[in-house]
Amino acid sequence: MARRQARAARLFIAPNLVAVAVFLVFPLGFSLYLSFQQWDMFGPIRFTGLGNFRRLLTSDPLFTIALRNTIVFTLGTLIPTVSISLVVAATLNRGVRGTGFFRTVMFLPLAISSVVMAVIWRFVFDTNNGLLNMMLGRLGIGPVPWLVDPRWAMVSVCLVSVWKSIPFATIVLLAAMQGVPADLYEAAKIDGAGAIRRFASITLPLIRGALSFVFVISIIDSVQAFDQIYVLTGGHGGPETGTYVFGIMIFQNAFAFGDAGYASAIAWLIFVVLLALTVAQLWFARKNSADR
Amino acid sequence: MLVGRRAFLHAATGIGAALAMPALGGCGGDDDALTFFFQANPAEADGRQRVIDEFARRNPDIRVRTLLSGPDPMQQMLTFCAGGKCPDVLMAWEQTYAGLADRGVLLDLNIMLDRDPAFAAELAAGGVAALYDTFTFEGGQYALPEQWSGNFLFFNKALFDEAGLRPPGRWEDAWSFAEFLDIARALTERVRSGEVRQWGFVDSWVPYYSAGLFAINNGAEWARPRTVPGRSVFSDDAFVEGVQFYADLANRYHVAPAPADQQSISAMDLFAQGRAALAMGGHWRYRTFADADDLDFDVTALPSGSARRGARSNIGTTGLAISAASRHREQAWEFLKFAAGPVGQAVIAETGLFVPALRSAVRSTGFAEAHRDIGNLDILIDGPAHSAPLPVTDQWPRIDALMDRYMGPVLRGIAPATSLADRLAPEAEEVLRNP
Repeated sequence: MARRQARAARLFIAPNLVAVAVFLVFPLGFSLYLSFQQWDMFGPIRFTGLGNFRRLLTSDPLFTIALRNTIVFTLGTLIPTVSISLVVAATLNRGVRGTGFFRTVMFLPLAISSVVMAVIWRFVFDTNNGLLNMMLGRLGIGPVPWLVDPRWAMVSVCLVSVWKSIPFATIVLLAAMQGVPADLYEAAKIDGAGAIRRFASITLPLIRGALSFVFVISIIDSVQAFDQIYVLTGGHGGPETGTYVFGIMIFQNAFAFGDAGYASAIAWLIFVVLLALTVAQLWFARKNSADR
Repeated sequence: MLVGRRAFLHAATGIGAALAMPALGGCGGDDDALTFFFQANPAEADGRQRVIDEFARRNPDIRVRTLLSGPDPMQQMLTFCAGGKCPDVLMAWEQTYAGLADRGVLLDLNIMLDRDPAFAAELAAGGVAALYDTFTFEGGQYALPEQWSGNFLFFNKALFDEAGLRPPGRWEDAWSFAEFLDIARALTERVRSGEVRQWGFVDSWVPYYSAGLFAINNGAEWARPRTVPGRSVFSDDAFVEGVQFYADLANRYHVAPAPADQQSISAMDLFAQGRAALAMGGHWRYRTFADADDLDFDVTALPSGSARRGARSNIGTTGLAISAASRHREQAWEFLKFAAGPVGQAVIAETGLFVPALRSAVRSTGFAEAHRDIGNLDILIDGPAHSAPLPVTDQWPRIDALMDRYMGPVLRGIAPATSLADRLAPEAEEVLRNP
């Protein structure tokens, strides 16, 4: 009986395992293999050893540009996302009036695809007739060249990314906040602690796990960003190199220049950096919990 | 009837496998139709379909399945062909086909032409050599041109008549840069608030290519030599001055919209709505403008900044290529012979879809009839003879990315064109020397 059940279980998970092997494990392994090769997707594959990585780190001027832009984009997305999500989650947790409506509106970005979202935002960012500049104009602020000037273009993609990231971060933080025992707040209230003090001394320490999870996921999302940037500012990461991040760099090398080996090397370098960050975050989280 | 667990599992596995089979089989492998990949705007797509329909009518045994390209055809072709599903017939662009030819994606059509000497002789006698030469790369002929799609100027006849201006009717009689600027100034109108009501000049091409074309009209060249160039020309004085003049039209003289002005309304719409006197573009805009309400337009030459008399366009040709891996090589060749040969070119001429590549078609009554509202037909007829080819190199995507990056500040007016000599030129040179 147990053997029959085990066999049935294997049969049930087999399709998923095949899918994981074909669409995840194989591409991962193949891209790692390609990162040490030179391949234009048609001709023979030539072994280059660490050549792609050496070229990336020593002689490609776009690497430093992509690195700088990716860091700016990550910070420009991470800090507002976490700050706003904390405030929103805290507000929803307190059950203010109209929470249902507020929650629906907040979570709308989760239901829209990145490409559709970016197309809509293009209209919002229009310099002369865009919604944003029309609103700023009413406040007496001159038109901002959102997607035309390289620096403003980076601000624009950060804004869109923050808008897109807030719902997920809010859900995670809200779930964590709802797990904080209410009696702690009552005790603090009796001791005379105000709302801000209660938030800083009770909520934040007790949702630290969720907070660090949001941090890591936001960083990974930001470093992997591609679709919204591609739709908003094009496949060259323009204007000029204003939004040239690693996602665009990988795409450009793989599909515009047909340099699959080099694109794989960039992807694996990013993977290693992200893995290091994640491991460091886990280590700090464990260390902190052990200290407590 | 009760179904046992084992029977259920077997059935589920069978149904799953059956459902997965078509997906795993990939797209396009399901029939024997000839697949034809091309890019066209909606107005063009109609004309293109008429050519395909005519081919189908004359060749009922060959079925053609069309694949309309998205915004980035090169990326799409690379993906299709790298994935083993290369369309049989592919549209080829002068500046990008070399990347596919170099990778062995495209069939060297000399193989087919050698087998068909009568057709080859017909093309050699009736075709514009420059268009055919554009598709020769490292000794191979990788596409047959089907059209000349260089840039020229569309002008609004009513606005010119009102201003008492008469634009040139031939490439040899082109305006000078100074005359062009005066005309663009005269035709730019502002309302009292300073907002522009009517632009003197708008550009519907890719701005950094357009800037390059103005440089070509200032006496520069795109690259040396034309095929597999070894050095760039981005630091040449003539190139820098030409690009600066183009950038100044928007940023200094304010007779053309700046990049920000075109976010909400395209150059094409500005011209189609009668809010621009001159629009730079190629014949691919013709149908859109011809279909626009209350727009009476004609065509004229680009301005010339060099001492040399007359102006030049870019060859801008597109052709048809056959995939080297095509299983329908013979049918594909029949299609190419039709579209690029006398019969298909005559059909193209009648549809007004393109400026055909064969002289007999471009000088035909059908072509003149399809452009009966165009007074300066010589601009189209003589266009190929007054065109400078873009460089042919498999490194063009990298040069293209560099041009986009370094011409951006110049076109936005925050850097002078002389900056191209310090930044664009050396990097382009490096790409060309060490691919």
